Amino acid sequence: MIQLRPYEFMVKYTPQREWIEGHGILIAFALFFGGISGGLYLSSLFFNSLIGMFVAWLLAMATGASDMAHLSKPLRFWRMLLKPRTSWISRGFIFIWLFLGCAAIQLALSYWAPGSGAETVFKVLAGILAFFVAVYSGFVISFVVGIKLWNSAIVPILFVVAGLAGGLSILLVASLGSAAQGIAVANATLAALVVYAVFIAVYLWVSTYEDEAARDSVIRILKGDIAVVFWVGVVAAGILAPIALLAPFSLTQQASAGAFIAGAALAIIGGVTLRYVILKAGVYNPLVPTE
Amino acid sequence: MRWGMVIEQKRCIGCNACTLACKAEHFLPPEILWNRVLISETGKYPTVNKLIYSIRCNQCDEPKCVDACPTGATRKREQDNIVIIDDNECVGCRYCMIACPYQARSFYEDGDAEYFPGQGQTEHEKMGKVLYPHQVGVVQKCIFCKERIDDGLAKGLKPGVDRDATPACVIACPTMAMHFGDLEDPYSDINRLIKEKKGKPFHPEYGTEPSIYYIE
Repeated sequence: MIQLRPYEFMVKYTPQREWIEGHGILIAFALFFGGISGGLYLSSLFFNSLIGMFVAWLLAMATGASDMAHLSKPLRFWRMLLKPRTSWISRGFIFIWLFLGCAAIQLALSYWAPGSGAETVFKVLAGILAFFVAVYSGFVISFVVGIKLWNSAIVPILFVVAGLAGGLSILLVASLGSAAQGIAVANATLAALVVYAVFIAVYLWVSTYEDEAARDSVIRILKGDIAVVFWVGVVAAGILAPIALLAPFSLTQQASAGAFIAGAALAIIGGVTLRYVILKAGVYNPLVPTE
Repeated sequence: MRWGMVIEQKRCIGCNACTLACKAEHFLPPEILWNRVLISETGKYPTVNKLIYSIRCNQCDEPKCVDACPTGATRKREQDNIVIIDDNECVGCRYCMIACPYQARSFYEDGDAEYFPGQGQTEHEKMGKVLYPHQVGVVQKCIFCKERIDDGLAKGLKPGVDRDATPACVIACPTMAMHFGDLEDPYSDINRLIKEKKGKPFHPEYGTEPSIYYIE
């Protein structure tokens, strides 16, 4: 934890507090729910899992709810639909509402009128919107030029990959009824987790070349005050443990409910922790020369 | 018209008169600062250099806060480029605070905060709640004392020249380190100062085109 005296504000590296302390922690959940709902819906479309699509719809609701719970004036939430031209929060809010609408229609059609042309149309529409719901949360923070750790083109991609990995993990649990699909989803989850791990490594590595503040943030993540949360929450719980739990079943082609549920739970914990770590590590560059 | 400011750092003594003038002018609640003085040191003994920066919202021409705001509550005034916040449109998401690389914005959270906790509000605080009420739960920042500018212009005064039409921080500065004027007027004093003394905008690398220039 960086402790700043009042007179050190923006004279030293100044951590952002608005989106991590107090109510600000809800932003970490909003970013997480956004990524995972988009990822789960897209993977559910691929594996044709109606339950997965429904859970993705619920998670998109949770995204909007987390966003709104963070507002100090929640009754004015409708105003957030008014500035999609420049604001990523506004765009994201619109994506969420449109996704909720399209996915609700698609779910109804898939349940009551499966195989219809309208169902296909709404699946395509909701799929596109699900991708935007997953990617917007990355753009929300990569827009911030003052925090070099966030101001990276990799962040939106990382959040989509993290959303896919988390979404596939949830889909594992939804696929428990079918052993064949369970194994297929487990294989996809393993692949997504490996790609996710590579993206985290690349993101941190590239950030060290951004500037002093980003390098400082990466050091905090890897061996500073956030290191325990990162190594235990993101790496061990979110990547290594799910891989260790799923890999044997992928090799033997046998599904296990206990391992799948545990893997999904740990991947979810890892997904939330990733957003927390990135938000917590964000620092502003000093405004005045100090060396 | 684009109001701007030039600050001569060699004249600034770090007295915080600008900070206090701003506090008094806008009846700012505790913990809220629209104007700050940042002091840093460079070099090593015996060649140490003390740097003093009086900072506030830079009223950028390309403001990140305006782009970030999801409701349009933060916007530029068409007539003079001053970035303002409409309290009645702000939802309190604080994205503008996060997006501002200068960290010039504050969130007004505790409406009951007192300057002397436990001793009740001072007469000044009580008066401020009537004369200059601040809405709780919204973001605030420097507005270049737009009330003074608007009233002054209506009376035929010239901001930056006439005291009553000039921001409070500028007229409070005891060393006259701060200058105010129109950046779009090629004959204004601040444009002359920028040209003659090589004024530089504050952190142009962020691409925000600030309206406040510093002269080293």
